[in-house]
Amino acid sequence: MDYKYIEQLLERYWECQTTLEEETILRNFFRQEDVPASLLPYRQFFKEQDEMASEHLSKDFADKMLQMVGEDTSHNGGRQEGNICKARRLTFVRRLRPFYRAAGLIAILLTIGNAAQQSFTDDPSPAAKKGEVVVDAQWSMGNDSIASKPEQQSAELAKPVKDTLNTLTR
Amino acid sequence: MENISFRTTVLPLSDRLFRLALRITMNRAEAEDVVQDTLLKVWEQRSQWEQINSLEAFAIAICRNRALDVLKRAGRNTKSLDEVDDVHSAMPNVQSSMEAREQLSLVRRLMDSLPELQRTIMLLRDIEGKTYQEIAQTLDISETQVKVYLHRARTKIKEGIKIKD
Repeated sequence: MDYKYIEQLLERYWECQTTLEEETILRNFFRQEDVPASLLPYRQFFKEQDEMASEHLSKDFADKMLQMVGEDTSHNGGRQEGNICKARRLTFVRRLRPFYRAAGLIAILLTIGNAAQQSFTDDPSPAAKKGEVVVDAQWSMGNDSIASKPEQQSAELAKPVKDTLNTLTR
Repeated sequence: MENISFRTTVLPLSDRLFRLALRITMNRAEAEDVVQDTLLKVWEQRSQWEQINSLEAFAIAICRNRALDVLKRAGRNTKSLDEVDDVHSAMPNVQSSMEAREQLSLVRRLMDSLPELQRTIMLLRDIEGKTYQEIAQTLDISETQVKVYLHRARTKIKEGIKIKD
């Protein structure tokens, strides 16, 4: 293989006559394993350049710096640069949405609170009685005609019996 | 300049600045401190960002000055191009630190023994891929000077490699 081009390039490199592109060609050439003996002494030099180029800071350095300068600030004052926030137009109803939520939550809490208070403070037996009364009242209210009829019937039936008993006793 | 922000414009320069600081201080912890100071300094100047032609060049200049300050404070070698201009005169420094850095290759030691300005120019050209014009702007010197210093640096490396062989 002819390495004349590389040798010429290298000579021009030492004389600072190479372009950045030509220097990249040289660097790439010396990265490969097949380097002729005449050029081998220079390989280490380009290898050192590659090693220097791979030097970098610790991973947490960027986070540390962002914390130090305040992540969400920029040189333009108001503009945010950390977490980018998009501005949205809010309608009046949407703007009140948090209040609706708060009101709903309060209502739920009050209901639960009242229920809990009632169940703990009230005596269970009167409550049961109250329940019966309520049930009876509902029964009598809802089934008034049905409920009153048997009583009337029994009263009508009892009347002749009473009369016969009275006559017998006399 | 549009959309300049610390996260998207300044922070990505960190590794580049770190390599520069590392080439000057030769110490990772010190280099990291230098980068941190540099980025904070750039951040403090945020009201001027729009007026700065190249934020990267601005940051590199700050970083280099900070790294040189660290060396001065520690009383370590801050040789300029004027003080040392010969690879053989630089060799005793290489020899003195050889025990601590025995694992480094001779080429690396040659590179490390270059005067700071030559080291920095070589880094900006060979590692960071900067043009002569960009290097000149960053270091506030002429393009001709950049080429002269880089030529000296490369010649020293070449001679050093030949001596080794």
